[in-house]
Amino acid sequence: MQPALTSISDYKYGFHKPENYVFKSKKGLSKKTVQEISYLKNEPQWMRKFRLKALDIFYHQAMPNWGGGLSKINFDDIYYYIKPTEKKATSWRQLPAEIRDTYDRIGIPEAEKKFLGGVNAQYESEVVYKSIQKTLAKKGVVFLDMDSGLKEYPQLVREYFGTLVTSDDNKFAALNSAVWSGGSFIYVPKGTKVELPLQAYFRINAAKMGQFERTLIIADEGSFVHYVEGCTAPIYTSDSLHAAVVEIFVKKGARVRYTTIQNWSKNVYNLVTKRMHVGEEGIGEWVDGNLGSKLTMKYPSVYLAGRKARGEILSVAYGGSGQHQDAGGKAIHFAPETTSLITSKSISMGGGRTTYRGLVRILPEAFGSKTKTVCNALIIGKNSRSDTYPAIDIRVADVKAEHEATVSKISEEQLFYLASRGIKRSEAEALVVNGFIEPIVRQLPLEYAVELNRLIQLEMEGSVG
Amino acid sequence: MSLVIKNLSAAIVGRIILKNIDLSIAKGEIHVLMGPNGSGKSTLAQVVMGSKNYDLGIKNYALEIDGKNIKNLKTDERAREGLFLAFQNPISIPGVSIADLLKTAYQQKSKIKKLHNPVLSVWEFNELLVNTDKKLKIPQEMLRRNLDESFSGGEKKKLEMLTVAILRPKYAIFDEIDTGLDVDALKIIAYGIGKLKAAGTGILLITHYQRLLRFVNPDFVHILIDGKIIQSGGYKLAEKVEKNGYKRWTDH
Repeated sequence: MQPALTSISDYKYGFHKPENYVFKSKKGLSKKTVQEISYLKNEPQWMRKFRLKALDIFYHQAMPNWGGGLSKINFDDIYYYIKPTEKKATSWRQLPAEIRDTYDRIGIPEAEKKFLGGVNAQYESEVVYKSIQKTLAKKGVVFLDMDSGLKEYPQLVREYFGTLVTSDDNKFAALNSAVWSGGSFIYVPKGTKVELPLQAYFRINAAKMGQFERTLIIADEGSFVHYVEGCTAPIYTSDSLHAAVVEIFVKKGARVRYTTIQNWSKNVYNLVTKRMHVGEEGIGEWVDGNLGSKLTMKYPSVYLAGRKARGEILSVAYGGSGQHQDAGGKAIHFAPETTSLITSKSISMGGGRTTYRGLVRILPEAFGSKTKTVCNALIIGKNSRSDTYPAIDIRVADVKAEHEATVSKISEEQLFYLASRGIKRSEAEALVVNGFIEPIVRQLPLEYAVELNRLIQLEMEGSVG
Repeated sequence: MSLVIKNLSAAIVGRIILKNIDLSIAKGEIHVLMGPNGSGKSTLAQVVMGSKNYDLGIKNYALEIDGKNIKNLKTDERAREGLFLAFQNPISIPGVSIADLLKTAYQQKSKIKKLHNPVLSVWEFNELLVNTDKKLKIPQEMLRRNLDESFSGGEKKKLEMLTVAILRPKYAIFDEIDTGLDVDALKIIAYGIGKLKAAGTGILLITHYQRLLRFVNPDFVHILIDGKIIQSGGYKLAEKVEKNGYKRWTDH
């Protein structure tokens, strides 16, 4: 079994532009760094205090002793804040040529043409480009970068920020809370449906630069929004860290879908805490695709807090050579008659590793609830590995809980059949893999579905099962 | 211009299944291979297609397509040289539709064999698919169905017929394409085979029964018993088998 890519420099999006930044903080983490970030952003005092308190928690919290190997992260060898351009651009042409070029290569303008609801692209820590359609503003929908959100809607931010994922939730949530920068802030007013998906692209472009974006979405009663986040990052020789926090509040009868396609380069530690709080008859959905990174630890969660709230998590992970995707989902049922569905599909290939880690907890108040977990793993190649850790904790009698798990391999019969049609082995494997994830790809917006299939094909090219 | 098999033997876990098979199928010819269960018919099809499950023992056999040695080619390479095998049962692949499969296969082939399978745009290919589909009287919705969903016996055979019609190989082997078909389906399969023959494809039909042969007009019939071709002849030979079975060859 050969790795899908022969060396890390083969990475498709592995170009990087010369660094040209207005401000770059010193390497390493200290009280001073955190104060500096807050000062430069001209933040209110409560946020400065929030950051410093989080830093203190970060110092005192232990590293997770489960999941993947984290011992190689050197927190002193990371830049915690870089501000790439002085002013935020409001149109594509206003962006510096270099940055525009980078985005051209990822294909943002093309994506935008495809009726994006508004691109809010993040280059490094600061959001530099935004094009928000007038219709959003007319409807009263707020779609800002998090820093602007804090400036323009301080009360709203203060009310929700850090309440669902508290700073002491885990060490990386604490780190993010201390040094966060960028991310999106979205507010959808009562009864408002945002028809087109809102999209943002994230990109790490400086060596040893950690990206700590923070996203807060509040969907008011009866509203609907679909947020799509796609990531690609260029290559560096040293390890990069991406530790994001996403907090989403789905009010009574509202529905939020959050889609991620993550394709970090293969030296990135991707450690993300994502959580949705779903109110009565609300629907919270995570569609989470993990392709890149060295190690991803990500378990999007739904907290089903109101009667008849529903949560769905679709997770697809591709672990190639040198990669470990430790992904899954969590559903906590706090209220009666709540429903959760977790679907996980993982592909381990070329010695890569995938782990499904899930938790379903049904609390005593959540009688009449239903939950189902389906895990399908596809293993290609001798040294590839897949593990499943489904924890189900039910504390009330009247519930329906199901769990299904399958592990499959591409059979010789399948390969022979496809070969007899003239299909090369690598193409045959790609066909089987694309078929395997088809139920998830079907849930994606068209351009993402195309991109995901293409990325997987790219990863699998030249590999020998 | 022929598919040539010379002195081909094959064994599996030490048991010899095929013994010194000689067979030459010219362009546009229909050959029929008949024989009782376990006589080695399917093994022959699999070995010619390049299955790695068999030990071909001594290497002084020959396998050629139009003079080109294909012995050392892998299955997919043989297919791209113009060989095709229609399976008794198409394989199950979750999430992959018939259209996906055919498109992928066609693209791989057209990359190399431009003359036989011209490069087509997505639209052109779709048109080819829909037209071929209509001629074979296959409901169009079937094209979108995934390969792991349930198909009736007749649908499975039609799917194989559709595949061969799209790929237009130089030589096609049909492994029991007639099993479990009603008369209408049988006629459609026969129509497909006739079209292939007319287009110059050399055909090997593996079958138990004479039923299909009534509609296809074979050029040669071969009887395979215990891994050996015992007798070859014309259509009359198949009629004899239908009447008397294989007794005259198996009773020693």
